[in-house]
Amino acid sequence: MQKEAAIREPLILGHKTYHDITEDVCRPIEDKAPKMWYILFGIALVIGLYGVGAICYLLGTGIGVWGLNKTIGWAWDITNFVWWVGIGHAGTLISAVLLLFRQKWRMAINRSAEAMTIFAVFMAGTFPLIHMGRLWVGYWTLPLPNQFGSLWVNFNSPLLWDVFAISTYLSVSLVFWYIGLIPDFATIRDRAKKPVAKKMYSILSFGWSGRAKHWNRFELVSLVLAGLATPLVFSVHSIVSFDFATSVIPGWHTTIFPPYFVAGAVFSGFAMVQTLLLIMRKAMGLEAYIHTKHVEYMNIVIMVTGSIVGTAYITELFISWYSGVEYEAYAFLNRATGPYWWAYWSMMTCNVISPQLMWIRKLRRSLLFTFFISIVVNIGMWFERYVIIVTSLHRDYLPSAWSMHFPSHIDIAVYIGTIGLFFVFFLLFARFFPVLALNEVKTILKGSGQSYKESPDYHEHH
Amino acid sequence: MGLTRKYWKGIEELKETPEFIKHKEQEFPSQQTIEQFLADDNLAETSTARRDFLKFLGFSVAAATLAACEAPVTKAVPYVVKPENVTPGMPTWYASTYYDGNSYASILVKTREGRPIFIKGNHEFGFTKGGTNPQIVASVLGLYDSERLTGPKANKKDASLSSVDKEISSAIKSAKKVTLFSSTVISPSLNRAITEMATALNGEGGSKFEHIQYDAVSYSAMREANNKNFGAPIIPGYDFSKAKTIVSLDADFLSSWLLPTEFAVQYGQTRIPGDNMSKHFQFESVMTVTGSNADYRGMAKPSELAGILAYLIKGLGGKSGVDASVPSGSKLAADEALKALKKSGKDSLVVCGSNNVGLQILTNKLNNQLKAYGNTIDLTNTIELFKGDDTKVQKLVKDVISGKGPDVLLMYGVNPVYTLPNGEEFGKALSNITTVSFASHADETASLCKYICPDHHALEGWNDYKAKANQYAVAQPTIRPLHNTVSALESLLVWNGKAQRGGKDSAVAYDYIAATFAATITSGDFAFTTHNSCSDLVVVPSALSYSDASASKFPKGGDLEVVFYQKAGIGIGAHANNPWLQELPDPITKVTWDNYITMNPVTMEKDGYVTTYDQEHGLNTATVTVNGKSVTLPVYPMPGQAIGTIGIALGYGRGANGEKIGKAAYQTKEYGGHDLGENGKPKAIGANVFGFVSTANGTYEYANVAKISKAEGTYPIAATQIHHTVMGRHSIVRETTLDIFNNRDKEAYNPAHMLEKLNKEGHHEERPVSEFDLWDAHPVEKIGHRWGMTIDLSSCIGCGTCLVACQVENNVPVVGKDEVRRGREMHWLRIDRYFSTEEEAAIGTKKDKDNFSYDKAEHAAENPKVVHMPMLCHHCNHAPCETVCPVAATTHSNEGLNQMAYNRCIGTRYCANNCPYKVRRFNWFNYPSYKKFVEVNPAQDDLGRMVLNPDVTVRTRGVMEKCSLCVQRIQATKLVAKKEARVVADGEFATACSDACPTNAIVVGDWNDIKSNIRKSSEDKRAYQALEEVGVKPNIWYKVKVRNEENNDLNKLQVAEAKVEHKKAHH
Repeated sequence: MQKEAAIREPLILGHKTYHDITEDVCRPIEDKAPKMWYILFGIALVIGLYGVGAICYLLGTGIGVWGLNKTIGWAWDITNFVWWVGIGHAGTLISAVLLLFRQKWRMAINRSAEAMTIFAVFMAGTFPLIHMGRLWVGYWTLPLPNQFGSLWVNFNSPLLWDVFAISTYLSVSLVFWYIGLIPDFATIRDRAKKPVAKKMYSILSFGWSGRAKHWNRFELVSLVLAGLATPLVFSVHSIVSFDFATSVIPGWHTTIFPPYFVAGAVFSGFAMVQTLLLIMRKAMGLEAYIHTKHVEYMNIVIMVTGSIVGTAYITELFISWYSGVEYEAYAFLNRATGPYWWAYWSMMTCNVISPQLMWIRKLRRSLLFTFFISIVVNIGMWFERYVIIVTSLHRDYLPSAWSMHFPSHIDIAVYIGTIGLFFVFFLLFARFFPVLALNEVKTILKGSGQSYKESPDYHEHH
Repeated sequence: MGLTRKYWKGIEELKETPEFIKHKEQEFPSQQTIEQFLADDNLAETSTARRDFLKFLGFSVAAATLAACEAPVTKAVPYVVKPENVTPGMPTWYASTYYDGNSYASILVKTREGRPIFIKGNHEFGFTKGGTNPQIVASVLGLYDSERLTGPKANKKDASLSSVDKEISSAIKSAKKVTLFSSTVISPSLNRAITEMATALNGEGGSKFEHIQYDAVSYSAMREANNKNFGAPIIPGYDFSKAKTIVSLDADFLSSWLLPTEFAVQYGQTRIPGDNMSKHFQFESVMTVTGSNADYRGMAKPSELAGILAYLIKGLGGKSGVDASVPSGSKLAADEALKALKKSGKDSLVVCGSNNVGLQILTNKLNNQLKAYGNTIDLTNTIELFKGDDTKVQKLVKDVISGKGPDVLLMYGVNPVYTLPNGEEFGKALSNITTVSFASHADETASLCKYICPDHHALEGWNDYKAKANQYAVAQPTIRPLHNTVSALESLLVWNGKAQRGGKDSAVAYDYIAATFAATITSGDFAFTTHNSCSDLVVVPSALSYSDASASKFPKGGDLEVVFYQKAGIGIGAHANNPWLQELPDPITKVTWDNYITMNPVTMEKDGYVTTYDQEHGLNTATVTVNGKSVTLPVYPMPGQAIGTIGIALGYGRGANGEKIGKAAYQTKEYGGHDLGENGKPKAIGANVFGFVSTANGTYEYANVAKISKAEGTYPIAATQIHHTVMGRHSIVRETTLDIFNNRDKEAYNPAHMLEKLNKEGHHEERPVSEFDLWDAHPVEKIGHRWGMTIDLSSCIGCGTCLVACQVENNVPVVGKDEVRRGREMHWLRIDRYFSTEEEAAIGTKKDKDNFSYDKAEHAAENPKVVHMPMLCHHCNHAPCETVCPVAATTHSNEGLNQMAYNRCIGTRYCANNCPYKVRRFNWFNYPSYKKFVEVNPAQDDLGRMVLNPDVTVRTRGVMEKCSLCVQRIQATKLVAKKEARVVADGEFATACSDACPTNAIVVGDWNDIKSNIRKSSEDKRAYQALEEVGVKPNIWYKVKVRNEENNDLNKLQVAEAKVEHKKAHH
């Protein structure tokens, strides 16, 4: 057991015992779901089904049901894709990178953050699939042996790299998340009274018995997976950014993109974690485990990554002017002052100004303010992708082809639908899965719990 | 010795097991009946358990389902006996002639398996020398129009030909007065038949039969003016190729005036920069195709043209009797024109497009002063088109309306109910008399006629034409008539009792034309003429001489004058049902599927109209009132429109009462189906403004005094280009003046884009961008073919013929107004049109690089200069589209082509996004089957589908497509050469666009052939590659636009800058 300085804020508030932790995490699963859960689930399901309906219409009719045109071949589809992938960054960062850095505060949030990651990547993955003109031959993007002669995928194409990057990320995240869930499932299994639930959780827990050998393997696998996942955190969004960076379109063709996209992804991912957890801690009575200090830590991450993003924006502007390239310069002038100026300035306000407010301690420790900013940041990050994709395309080289993009109602339905589906998954997760890594949290109870820090015993040793 | 060896078939036989012995005699195992099999109690214990059964069932269902996903089988029926002249897969070309009462050209018709599918100009025979226009190229679709009448009609019901013939013949016989009301008849045979009829009916000196010719857009004033000046109502021949100075007043001679198919070719010859380049001045109200090509363009109201003519006459030392006042918008152009006319003298040509006798007399006077007659104007080889006499027409119309008209009215090639200013009254009066129409559709006029005897489509029948005095041309059928239509010539002969009907394969017209030919050209060979499509005629030199005539009654002026003009695609509306033409962007406004009010944006801003539009934001509408009649249309911001004038295109509003004139002639709804008006009939496209034509001075004048008032609401506009300036981007458009071009180095006006690199000594050095390369070069240089193209911006006039030719050749789908509005037109080749701005010295050249205002550069100048820039796939050797496709659906051929494998495409659209030229087109829907395109896309019609080119795949939903550089033609050319064991000759291969170009602005060929035209053209000092600095190494070159003008701003920049560069190089 590690000890830490008493002046550090405890990570677990109140006088919790090991049993309390188990109770707090398992209670929502074992009790009947509250009415509110059903209401939220119903709303999310309706929205999700609306989105599924829109997708079916899209697949049945053609990509023309979206608002795209000859000049703007990607708009909301890829914006949403990058937005969701970005959101899906926080989970792995929290569980993998913070694990390697031994940040104990991650334990309270990593489970839901990872779940969020996986669901977000599901949503993200939808868009590259449905944006294809011919989804039914989409499997041609996989380097499968085939009977078409020597026909192979094009390894030069960043879209192909995307296929590999996203699928790798999804599978590693999924495994990582699941490994962490095994001991917790075992706890629920052991407590379960109903035979069906007991059976289900015993299957899910893979016969976990809590032996020292199991724990030893568990720790090892976690470490190995964290090692594997860490580079992925950086690679996925770097590769997504290559979709743009390797092109010849002014506003896309930018070497700064990989770090800028990764920072942006972490930025938006943490914002989404904040949005979800601030609600969840209240709804599920987890205030003792996820509290102001956690929120503050995350706000610091938001502030740092937000500053990186802001720096990137300003660097882009400067370079576009400094390069002396006519098209590059115009692309950025047009972003700021052209027909999509409102999108650009929404992005700037949400992503550059709002995180800077986190320098003020009072604000970054305010839960209400944090919730507000987390929404603002996600709006801003959606606009960032929209600005990059649409404003670069809508006025590129030849003014004769300049155009505007207006979303159709199917564009909107598909986007809203994925948000609905995301919440369907997340609500199911909150209902049936341990939302806190309860066995992991227990490991810090002695070191970072409030009652232990306040006990005379604790002070004696120091 | 006995048999010691033992042969055996198996161990069982060798060992003679009891089992073997038992079955020895039985070759096959015992046959069980089904009853026996089912009665077997052990059946239930067979190894196929229930679960296995379910697995098998599941597999079978899945397999059957997957198998059902295959595309439906369509059957092709092969020829059992091969027709003599048809080889499947090989096209057959026929030389023919096109004439529809408005356009004329010598053409070649391509047929495949007996179906005509493509029309192009005949470069070798005929005075049009390969020149065509969009309407001629697109006319092939009219053959397959499913709403064309399929046989004769009487009282709106199908009728048998024999009964119709009988009734019409007897009506003609018993009538007191018979009038043939036709468009200008240039057919010697038809004229002979008409004369025969007149002789038969009139006898000696009678007046029972009368032939009145009527042109929807009349040139009556020209003939009348020439009658006054020369004593003969002729239209002389014009030779623009001889003219050093061309002055045109409201004459759109490159697109709609008189004989543009001939004039555009001639004009193209004078636009090659060098000492022989012509200087072209245009004075007009609406910016026309011709005006957009002028070196100097003056803005003038129709009522101000007389003053300009008078100014020029006065300047050349003559007297006109008219006040020589020049409007401010034309001052510079008029002064320059005067200078140029003085210099070029008899090598000048002045033309006037107004149908006003006074203006035409002034024009004649000016031409006479210049001594143009006998030089650029040929009084001998006259133009035989447009013989309509407005006075006679007006009398006939008045007679019909007042009930004093003929008893029998035969109408051929005219649609007066639509095209007459008082067409509606005329239409109402038709019910009182016996009317016969030859129209192909039950159109505005024919639907009101008692009898309709539909004529063949132009590609189905024999015809002969004399469009100019010295040429006799033949049109031959390229397909057996699809329907029970009859030749109009034959009908006239039959009704006159001179011939019997010959059925579907009738030879009546052929025999009659052959006889006419024999009588006209005594030494000629008709079969040979048919083969070439034309034969020369001998003309006696004209003895006409000029005498002065007084000019009066000029167009009336007003605060607001409205001008009626023809668009390149729709013209007078005869082809309003042709979706290719409806979707052809207007060469200047780039608007499709509509007509509108054109107004100068300067005026619009003052009067509170919006001047920008996009997918979701339409234009304001306004109501124009002329003589109490009014029409409401959107107001389009047209830079260069003379202040105080507006323009509205003719040819729209066809079929306003829901007449069946073709599916594509009506507005469609967002999800397909015709948009129905309040009367339950489909809404016409645009509005008909023939009713506004002025008759104040006796002739039909296509301008009038009008009032305009802003109306409620906005109207969505489907334009293919919504940004109109090039924003000073010099790597896209390059322009210079003739003076700079003649006297300066390439560096002055066409400098290479320079990048810095380190040389061997470690110093920075500026090198042209062509020397830099991120990629390995494709092995296309010096190996085999490398197809390339140059496009000369100086000779491209923006007429749009190439665009339609490309659409026909490559089965490019038509998508309709709503999709064009959304920015999804499918054209593989588009023509970008850029207006100059106040920020630019010339299009693409910034006046002041440091203080360039992008805001101001978005707005065209009040009277802008124009560049037309055809834009198509550049077949880049380092194509950005190729690297980004995840499945390698677009790749580079070893002949330098960027090729699209539709079958492999999964539709990510990444390639389109990454294309710097934005020439890739995505199949957003299944155009050949989705309900939205039923009315507009020919591929959705059983008959219309016949026009598809079998050499080109019809693309399915979800795949990308783009210009293939007519790869099917490349392959065909290579095959021909291969069979003849030779290399492909230069000029042997032509793309649809280069073939169609009347001014030869597009040159294609094998760039690796160092003697080829394309190689020479691409190495010309005017050649440059658009967006060269992106480094994509295109196989398409443009050639700098050279304007024959004085341009001090440009002079300063290109000459001064070149000097600085020069100095730098010396350092």
